[in-house]
Amino acid sequence: MSGKTAPSRRWVRGLLTAAIPLGLVALTACSGSGARLGLPEAATEQAPHVGNLWLGAWIASFVIGGLVWGLIFWAVIRYRRREGDAPAPRQTTYHLPLELLYTLVPFLIVGVLFFYTVKVQDAMIEQDAEPDVVINVIGQKWSWTFNYMEEDNPAIGTNAHEIGTLERIPDLYLPVDKRVRFNLQSADVIHSFWVPSFYFKMDVIPGHFNSFDATPNRLGTYDGKCAELCGEFHALMLFKVHVVSEEEYNAKVLELAENGNAGERKLEAAKQAVWQTAAPEEQQ
Amino acid sequence: MSSATVTHRTTTTDAQPAPAAVETHSLGSNIMKYFTTTDHKVIGNMYFVTAFVFFLIGGLLALGIRAELASPGMDYMNYETFNQFFTMHGTIMLLMFATPMFSGFANAILPLQLGAPDVAFPRMNGYAFWLYVFGSLMACTGFVMPGGAASFGWFAYAPLSNSIHSPGIGHDLWIMGLYLLGLSSILGAVNFITTIITMRAPGMTMFRMPIFCWNILVTSMMVIMVFPVLAVGLLVLESDRVLGSHVLDPSSGGPILWQHLFWFFGHPEVYVIALPFFGIITEVLSAFSRKPVFGYYGLVFATLAIGALSVSVWAHHMFVTGAVNLPFFAFMTFLIAIPTGVKFFNWIGTIWRGSLTLNTSMTYAIGFLTTFLFGGLTGIILASPALDFQVSDTYFVVAHFHYVLFGTVVFAMFAGFYYWWPKFTGRMLNETWGKIHFWTLFIGFHTTFLVQHWLGVAGMQRRIADYGAWEGFTFLNQLSTFGAFLLGISMLPFIWNVWITRKAPKVTVNDPWGWGRSLEWATSCPPPRHNFESLPRVRSISPALDLTRPELATHHLDDPGELLDDHVDAAELEGSAK
Repeated sequence: MSGKTAPSRRWVRGLLTAAIPLGLVALTACSGSGARLGLPEAATEQAPHVGNLWLGAWIASFVIGGLVWGLIFWAVIRYRRREGDAPAPRQTTYHLPLELLYTLVPFLIVGVLFFYTVKVQDAMIEQDAEPDVVINVIGQKWSWTFNYMEEDNPAIGTNAHEIGTLERIPDLYLPVDKRVRFNLQSADVIHSFWVPSFYFKMDVIPGHFNSFDATPNRLGTYDGKCAELCGEFHALMLFKVHVVSEEEYNAKVLELAENGNAGERKLEAAKQAVWQTAAPEEQQ
Repeated sequence: MSSATVTHRTTTTDAQPAPAAVETHSLGSNIMKYFTTTDHKVIGNMYFVTAFVFFLIGGLLALGIRAELASPGMDYMNYETFNQFFTMHGTIMLLMFATPMFSGFANAILPLQLGAPDVAFPRMNGYAFWLYVFGSLMACTGFVMPGGAASFGWFAYAPLSNSIHSPGIGHDLWIMGLYLLGLSSILGAVNFITTIITMRAPGMTMFRMPIFCWNILVTSMMVIMVFPVLAVGLLVLESDRVLGSHVLDPSSGGPILWQHLFWFFGHPEVYVIALPFFGIITEVLSAFSRKPVFGYYGLVFATLAIGALSVSVWAHHMFVTGAVNLPFFAFMTFLIAIPTGVKFFNWIGTIWRGSLTLNTSMTYAIGFLTTFLFGGLTGIILASPALDFQVSDTYFVVAHFHYVLFGTVVFAMFAGFYYWWPKFTGRMLNETWGKIHFWTLFIGFHTTFLVQHWLGVAGMQRRIADYGAWEGFTFLNQLSTFGAFLLGISMLPFIWNVWITRKAPKVTVNDPWGWGRSLEWATSCPPPRHNFESLPRVRSISPALDLTRPELATHHLDDPGELLDDHVDAAELEGSAK
């Protein structure tokens, strides 16, 4: 332990070594999904809440992580044993003020993160008393049923549904800039309704009713998937979300109704149609 | 192992009708020795070997999974096989590798560090080991049963796990095998707690115990709190499957009930397999920095805090079920970051201004710090329900928990192996092969799992046998698969290392590293049957070092040495340490 540099300058140098690679990462990440740190482009009005928190949380993480990695690597390089070193360094065992500092400061960091987390999660799960469109979703092994509840909509006047199968993944049409209520029910096991571009997913649980609102605001076609292991063909439980203009949406629902898919596909019917739903001894 | 003791005893006297009188080293007597042993060191080694074999099996399953995911389309597996592979990979790695590895290290090291001749209940110790072997084999026999092994994922969510959606005896074997495994862990934990409370050497107060012992204590307390809950869940599940009960039926809220039961076990289980390995890291960092642990009391209380908080955060696995209180579980989970941060800063404080010997063991410990830190950061992100809505059940989670668990269990396991190998076997491992082992493993690991964060955020859900070619996931998956095979290959240098050093020169000193502090370094390598010929005085947390370098102990009394206080007279210290 024959340190010749002043301790403060050592600290500065340590921080710089940590900051340079981080800066490079930040520079290369300034385009496309890199600028969103991996997230796909947001497709709902609510999604940017999550997107902003995601960026903020990562910036905070990289600052803290950079500091800690910097300290680790600095210590490994600087305090590596060299020839001629004393056999033992000073036998330091504690430093109470420092320990209190790194116990108490994280409470502040956690507090700030918690504050924004609660704000964002409330925005994501908030439900409107009067949504513009209601879609009743049923998950069944291994596809989705989408019920368009448009009976009271004068432009359509009927409910319609689409049942997906393993062979043909279903399409979900949503009108742009309308608040959509998704009612999630399962006919068999737990599924999870996820559209990555919505930055949101919710489990579809048998015997447990779930629902959420989202307002798609960008025209386009997006992947939707089941995110909870639901048996053999879990990987194939996909769907396509088409965010379209209101006129096109109305036309698609009417088209479904005219092609023999009028009315709502109820959960009971879905339960009967899929695999056995009762224990073997009850079926006799 | 204890063969040295055996020959020693036979030369002294033949009058005692001891088992040592068996002179023949025939296969049969060796098998009998392992079947009937109650020696904690032998049982520890048996845990190491068995758990490591399961580690290799689980690793092969992982390679199967990664090979299938290297390109879109089903290449060589069918969907059901894929589901069996990841289910058994998770089960084996968590319950047949990581948890028994904790029992292995606790068995091999704990009594030595406490200055005890054995664990409190040596026969129950042997029983727990055989229960582990039997339970594990039972759960794995599913592979040779009609219908194959369990395929409902290692958390066996109801109602997917019922007899309608998952028929087949492989599932029943899995459930009951895990029940036996859980019983084995509970018995082991009772043993460790009793040993720590009642069998410490004279002078070894609770606050002179090495951090490793503290971590085993907290871990064992968590085990006896949460494994019974798993047992309840498994028995109820099996009763639903074969006796026709309806406890986990959807009509009575069964799916959510199962998730609560499972995660009340499942989340603390993560800490059960993390804390002992944190303990190993603490020991290694201290020994190879030539410094005592920094902030000992802070570390102890941080460990206790993690143990206490771990039983109040389980529902963060259920943020997207719409059935739990989000703010409460988010806040409790955030709080865990604080004691974990304290640990990190204490580890840095331990190496700060130390004199670091970067041998393989220490390199693994630094590798752990680097890797686990990233897992901790993504853990805070996952603790936020708002962000969890997007990344829950995706490859982001897969990447996160591999950073946490592989980063902890595997890195710390190898740090512990290289560090304590002379204590286990009486021989040293080769350092050059150790370094090759470390770098292939480190690069392989990060190549495999770093890119999975991106995959998950971009939309790749976990547990899928296949993904679409249009989704743009192919390149990152191929990179990940390449990394996984590199990681698999990195086991070869280790196995080679063990093989070539099997006849290395015997270690003749108590402490080949020279800076071991705790009592295991105050006895021979490997220790005699009941561990100590004589015990040193225990007057601090470093009894072995007090014995070999008394000048440091005296000096420390004059100058407790604060971390950033720079006004020490270096020359005086050098003088006192010579």
